[in-house]
Amino acid sequence: MTLSVEETLRSLSLSEALPDAVIAQLAALASIEQFGPGATLFREGTVHHAFSVIISGHVGLEMHLPARGDVRILSLGTGDILAWSALLGNGRMTASATAMGNVELLTFRGDDLRGLCQSNHEVGFHVMSRVATALSRRLLATRLQLLDLYSTQKPQIDPVPRM
Amino acid sequence: MATIEPAQLNIGDERLLPRAQLQALINVLRNEGYTVIGPTVDQEAIVYHEIRSVEELPEGWTDEQGPGHYRLARRDDNALFGYVVGPHSWKKYLFPPISTLAVSDKTSDGWLMRAVEETPPRYAFLGVRACELAAINVQDRTFLRGPYVDPIYSGRRNEAFLIAVNCTQAASTCFCTSMKTGPRCKTGFDLALTELRDAFTVEVGSERGARILTQVTTHECPSESTAAAEAARQQAVDQISRQMDTTDLRNLLLTRLEHPRWQETAQRCLSCTNCTMVCPTCFCSSVEEVADLKNEHVERQRRWESCFNPDFSYVQGGLVRNDIRSRYRQWLTHKLASWHDQFDTSGCVGCGRCITWCPVGIDLTEEVAAIREIPKCPP
Amino acid sequence: MPPVTASPPVPQFAPATNIWTPHAVRIVNIAEDTVDTRSYQVEFVDSQLQSNFAFRPGQFNMLYVPGAGEAAISISSRATTGAPLLHTIRPVGNVTSALARLRRGDTFGLRGPFGSSWPIDHLTGQEIVFVTGGIGLAPLRPAIYHVLDHRADYGSVTLLYGARTPGGFLYPREFDEWTSRGIDVQLTVDQPAPGWNGHVGVVTLLLDRIAMKDPSQTQVLCCGPEVMMFYTAQSAFRQGIPPHNLWISMERNMNCAIGLCGHCQFGPAFLCKDGPVLRYDRIAPFLTVKGL
Repeated sequence: MTLSVEETLRSLSLSEALPDAVIAQLAALASIEQFGPGATLFREGTVHHAFSVIISGHVGLEMHLPARGDVRILSLGTGDILAWSALLGNGRMTASATAMGNVELLTFRGDDLRGLCQSNHEVGFHVMSRVATALSRRLLATRLQLLDLYSTQKPQIDPVPRM
Repeated sequence: MATIEPAQLNIGDERLLPRAQLQALINVLRNEGYTVIGPTVDQEAIVYHEIRSVEELPEGWTDEQGPGHYRLARRDDNALFGYVVGPHSWKKYLFPPISTLAVSDKTSDGWLMRAVEETPPRYAFLGVRACELAAINVQDRTFLRGPYVDPIYSGRRNEAFLIAVNCTQAASTCFCTSMKTGPRCKTGFDLALTELRDAFTVEVGSERGARILTQVTTHECPSESTAAAEAARQQAVDQISRQMDTTDLRNLLLTRLEHPRWQETAQRCLSCTNCTMVCPTCFCSSVEEVADLKNEHVERQRRWESCFNPDFSYVQGGLVRNDIRSRYRQWLTHKLASWHDQFDTSGCVGCGRCITWCPVGIDLTEEVAAIREIPKCPP
Repeated sequence: MPPVTASPPVPQFAPATNIWTPHAVRIVNIAEDTVDTRSYQVEFVDSQLQSNFAFRPGQFNMLYVPGAGEAAISISSRATTGAPLLHTIRPVGNVTSALARLRRGDTFGLRGPFGSSWPIDHLTGQEIVFVTGGIGLAPLRPAIYHVLDHRADYGSVTLLYGARTPGGFLYPREFDEWTSRGIDVQLTVDQPAPGWNGHVGVVTLLLDRIAMKDPSQTQVLCCGPEVMMFYTAQSAFRQGIPPHNLWISMERNMNCAIGLCGHCQFGPAFLCKDGPVLRYDRIAPFLTVKGL
């Protein structure tokens, strides 16, 4: 049984503790999209106008390096936001997105969502604070990836015994 | 006056031992196969060493102690036990600084490993202070009462004969009263002496003690001697000047691990490990390999170790306590806080050795007082 | 502040001589796991000792190479009494490097088993999530096999496993069997390699995405680098899993393994006898203190 857009929005953790009125306004701007395995959702460097939240399935983010080709830097899943640049920035994507299997997205037109946030600051506050939280978690995850925790190499510089 | 038959000396009995009979007591112990260990002057300190004669005791000597300060001085009497504790503790004999744990030999069939069978030495400790009795009890909890019993400690401990000596004075570094470990010897000894002018009162603490004591000449203890001994022991109590407030100390220290005091003390501490070497309850060790040239006969040796050594604690990525602040904090919180979780007692017996033997005179009673103060910035 | 020390485990294996003496074991088989790890299958030279040897998942042995010393290595075999022991070793220090030079048929020494264990037999009826990274799967493997061998006793069982690269997973040839026997195996890497079409990113992200049936009935068993375990805990709490449902295995250098040398202390806990497996809420206040 397919859920309505509003029911789908409610099922995502992003909408937790959002007032009903706000949920209704957001649902009015959203639609559900489906992609098959291997489908390209957007390409790095291009302008993409849609801001999405993953409902189900996994999406791989890739960045292109001349010598190595497309390198996957992260995979995302249920509840993760996609193409935040469409909402916050100029819409130019910093990575490509590929469906890793069957994927369902809850998608907002970036301009519409930004417009609603600007005209209704209460909605704006809720949307932006949730995006900020999601991005801070993604930043932490990126840092953990950067720390190379499973590395077996000794640190390049021996920790200096500080007396 | 007559000696008493063995059957008539009981635990708790108090007798009078003439000063001249102390040598006889040492002789009886040696005849029974004990190696008598007692205090003696060596390199300008009073240390514990094998003794055979009363002449080797520090007659007429006393010690002056303070933070980072230890000197011997002459007394104006001929007391044999007129000092407190020096850099040695009895752990040197029960938990030896170096011991061999196992031996491995390479054969044509591969490695053959075996334990080292040792007949434990039989020690008689002469001159165990109350704080030291407490320290032995603390080390008993570590080496004997956990899920694993150390056979080296246990062999020596079972054989050890303890002659306690009640302190009749205190050094400025002593704080046994705060730790409730002294100065009176209450339990854990075979015999306990209190020195008077020409004699000792002797309290019997065990059946073994009773049996040994009946082999020397003792007399009924006159009431004046009992009173004199009581007064002498009270002098030790009166002379205690250092205090440590132990109220809720475990929780205090474990909830103030970021107190600014740790950083301040780290500036003074040299991480020299003296405190852990002299502390009678410290038990850390390391096991090392000692191999012959062909690496076909290898011994596993256990040696005293200190948490102040930088590489004492590490993980695969590197050192864990990589600064003096962490290491000093580890030592103090282990001694005064974690010890309670581990062994159901404080690790400190108030002997004051760590204060005396610290080259920069760090005083843990002062550290505790400082950590009790709410810091100006949040912890 | 709650006391940290759990009641000490009853030693399962009473050494024939005293607690300090290693026993000779012979290498029966060596398997290459990843580019820098190998698994050693060993048996006691004394067959009586071998048939009586029992351990619990999460425990470790002290492996002894005379002349090099001892190293604490988790036991990775199925916890069946008398079965050959499996130890997965990565050469990073003197002892492990010396072990890496040994061949099939060679002997070395072993003391054990030591330490606390995963309480997996007490967690029946619960949803189980194993979260691990790198070589951290080694001490969890016996717990995974316990669950597989008693699969009906548990709810859903998930394994979230992160590695540096696709070549860094331990025991990869067993994943298909685990999946077919009812474990949801999810793998992720920090750095993909050509041909990797799976997840990329830190393993905690996989935990964030699990739709929990009932967090209060979900148990997390976690082993990996300390930082990874800390953030796994944060993800678990965000999911509503209570701190007493989270079990971690901690690491410090071990010298004696019997709580007498002092090296492995973490706060009040001796990791060799109160750990290495600890319940999270009991150790939580100490995990955020630097240089403890």
